Amino acid sequence: MSAAPAGASPDGRAAPRARRTALARRDPTVVLATLLVVSLLLLVPVDPWTPLTLLVLTVAAARAAAVPWSTLARGLASFGPFALSVLAVNLVTRPGAPVARVAGLTVTDVGVLVGTGLALRTVLVGTLAVVVAASLDPVRLVASLHRHARLGARGAAALLAAHRVLEQLPARWVAVRQAQAARLPGPRPTRAGALPTSPDLLVRAAFTLLVVTLRQAQQMAVTLETRGVGSGPRTVHRPARLGAGDAVLAAVAVGTTVVVGAVLWRLGLLETWASVGG
Amino acid sequence: MIEVGGLRVRWPHADDDVLAGTDLDVRPGEHVLVLGASGSGKSTLLRTLAGVVPQQVDAQTWGRVQVAGRRVLAPSGPGRPSVPTTTTAHLARDVGTLTQDPWAQLCLPTVTDEVASGLEHRGVPAAEIDARVREALRAVGAAHLADRRTATLSGGEGQRVALAAVLAARPRVLLLDEPTALLDPAGAAGVARALQAAGGPDRTTLLVEHRLDEHDGAGPGGTGGLPERVVVLGARGRVVADGPTADVLGDAGGHLAALGTWLPWAAELAASGARRLADVEAAPVPSRGTPGPALLEARGLVVHRGGRRVLDGVSLAVRAGRVTAVVGLNGSGKSSLLLALAGLLPADGVVRGGRAALVLQRPEQQLLARTVRDEVAWGPRRAGARDAEARADAALARYGLTAVAGADPFRLSGGQQRRLALASVTVCDHEVVLADEPTFGQDRATWRSCAVSLRGLADEGRGVVLVTHDVRLVAEVADDVLVLRDGRALAHGPVEAVLRSGVLAGAGLPLPPAVRAALADGRGAAGVLAGVAAATVRAGAPAGVGP
Repeated sequence: MSAAPAGASPDGRAAPRARRTALARRDPTVVLATLLVVSLLLLVPVDPWTPLTLLVLTVAAARAAAVPWSTLARGLASFGPFALSVLAVNLVTRPGAPVARVAGLTVTDVGVLVGTGLALRTVLVGTLAVVVAASLDPVRLVASLHRHARLGARGAAALLAAHRVLEQLPARWVAVRQAQAARLPGPRPTRAGALPTSPDLLVRAAFTLLVVTLRQAQQMAVTLETRGVGSGPRTVHRPARLGAGDAVLAAVAVGTTVVVGAVLWRLGLLETWASVGG
Repeated sequence: MIEVGGLRVRWPHADDDVLAGTDLDVRPGEHVLVLGASGSGKSTLLRTLAGVVPQQVDAQTWGRVQVAGRRVLAPSGPGRPSVPTTTTAHLARDVGTLTQDPWAQLCLPTVTDEVASGLEHRGVPAAEIDARVREALRAVGAAHLADRRTATLSGGEGQRVALAAVLAARPRVLLLDEPTALLDPAGAAGVARALQAAGGPDRTTLLVEHRLDEHDGAGPGGTGGLPERVVVLGARGRVVADGPTADVLGDAGGHLAALGTWLPWAAELAASGARRLADVEAAPVPSRGTPGPALLEARGLVVHRGGRRVLDGVSLAVRAGRVTAVVGLNGSGKSSLLLALAGLLPADGVVRGGRAALVLQRPEQQLLARTVRDEVAWGPRRAGARDAEARADAALARYGLTAVAGADPFRLSGGQQRRLALASVTVCDHEVVLADEPTFGQDRATWRSCAVSLRGLADEGRGVVLVTHDVRLVAEVADDVLVLRDGRALAHGPVEAVLRSGVLAGAGLPLPPAVRAALADGRGAAGVLAGVAAATVRAGAPAGVGP
């Protein structure tokens, strides 16, 4: 093929592989379950100290496990704006003693406490999610879910195919916009590489992307059928086995969350919805 | 091994059957090449044998089909439609299927996982899988790709991995639907060799293919690589010729060419009615005189993509009335050059001239409207042309699309979409037309239609640049050739001089037999090749066909 396919480097050469983090060596189902449990535990405190302490510990552990700064920054960039909106809403909507007036709205002490706590919780859960997502190998995840979470063979295959389609989506979006820009009449673009941004063209490009992607997904579904997906009991080439490391990970993550909460409670810093009257 | 009796297939809402009474018997270990015009139902036949039609692709079916001892379709009662009796997935335990698009067949993130997945789903013991993955990758010459991510493979590599995924399951029947259609010559030759090795007495293969020279050349000694038996499908899937390959290509070559089917060069020459090439009357090629003014000029173009320099100091002047072909293997920078010429890619260097229209390799990515007519009229309407509708009508007629003017562009066939892409950009009066692989995967009829259109655009005074791996297209249509390797210009000059220089072989593009013979003839390759093509079609007559 002349043009590199969506998702490929222009010359089709292999991209360098990222270094496997310590988290990537753990069983994906255990990692996901641990993330879920920690997130549920974090629903209890509403003070800023608990999520702040855990965020510092998370960043330190992630760096020790060779998670790049760029991954951590991505978590902050992705969830930061949402955290700020949570903070802003809570500052001026919670009952409590007034501490300031901003643009005609009253900021309360409970609003500051809860808003900061919920915003930091958002950043913490977002950072954990991004770190986990960046470390998960999709094939290991599906194999693990198949074995430990009883995910069916068809569901497993569909998840992996969907991952392939999503992986190609950004490059395909650019390709479609380039292809449609090549149809435009009129003078040559003043800046090379600048693609049109009119809403009309973006909508048309989005529709084309949808059709092209659906068609690829349909073809992949046929391919999976012709590879025997769902024709009977399947085996697993790389079976997911639980090890002591998985137990340690779960125990350390959940235990640390509980211990931090307990220590802060003893210090009188832990607040819950009950204690703040929310 | 394959038994098909009175097979009829009709798509939903269609008035006619796409297959209207196909009969076929294939013995165990037999290798069969299926030929026929576009729309004759070749792919539908293969997809029915695989169980895809009507299980994944909706259709009404009649007749009976049995493959590898499994009943695929059986009548549900006298005169009533047939129903599937084995699921596609169960059939896949004995039947392997390979289609033309590697990107639709690679479903997992890494090569090893891709090849192993078919074994997992067929319940092969986990302890055997590693060895069988290695064996399958080795068989297709892809052992070195085992640790690669599938998203980083080239088309040829991807297709060989997809073939390995099929072969790893050791299917008794192999259904191959144009497996080399979208590959460059090196990729196509690699897949053809892998398929040659995958044949053998224990496996039955059914091959639908346009690029017969590549398969022929994969045989021992560079010839004889085609399957031993040919079945020709006529209109609506009826078998009109069936027999040993040499006999059928010899007897029905002219008819096949007239249907729009590619032939191996030796068969094409024989079908033209000439004993040797010198006996063929060369088609007149109009003198193109001196090159016109430069409409678009690029000097010292440098392009970086993915952190790599993919174009390194390339210069090109696109002149009125000239067709310039840009050739080279994957990764040589051809598509980047086209995008840079069109102003769609940031590039260092100088590009002077007006806006260039660009026809891409995958025409469906360029579609903007909901009907074919609106698609063609979109450009002139956006430019505010008062005669937009009249120009659209003229373009629809010129490219043979009037009959489908009200159709959804996404539902057209590949050949129709390609003509639509050409119609949509040429209707806008761009002085320069750039085309990326305009003939990829096309049958002979669509190929010629594209070639004539591109030449016509130059003859009406536009400048045309076409990026292609198709050296025969270059020889017939181009005036000049730019050869790229690793982003640099390896050669640039008049077409015959470059083709004779041997530089293409150095760039990984060996001359196909037809071009080699036409160059050796000495009367002008373009005229000789067009002459053979015309004589072959003239000689074709339905009366000459018979089992």
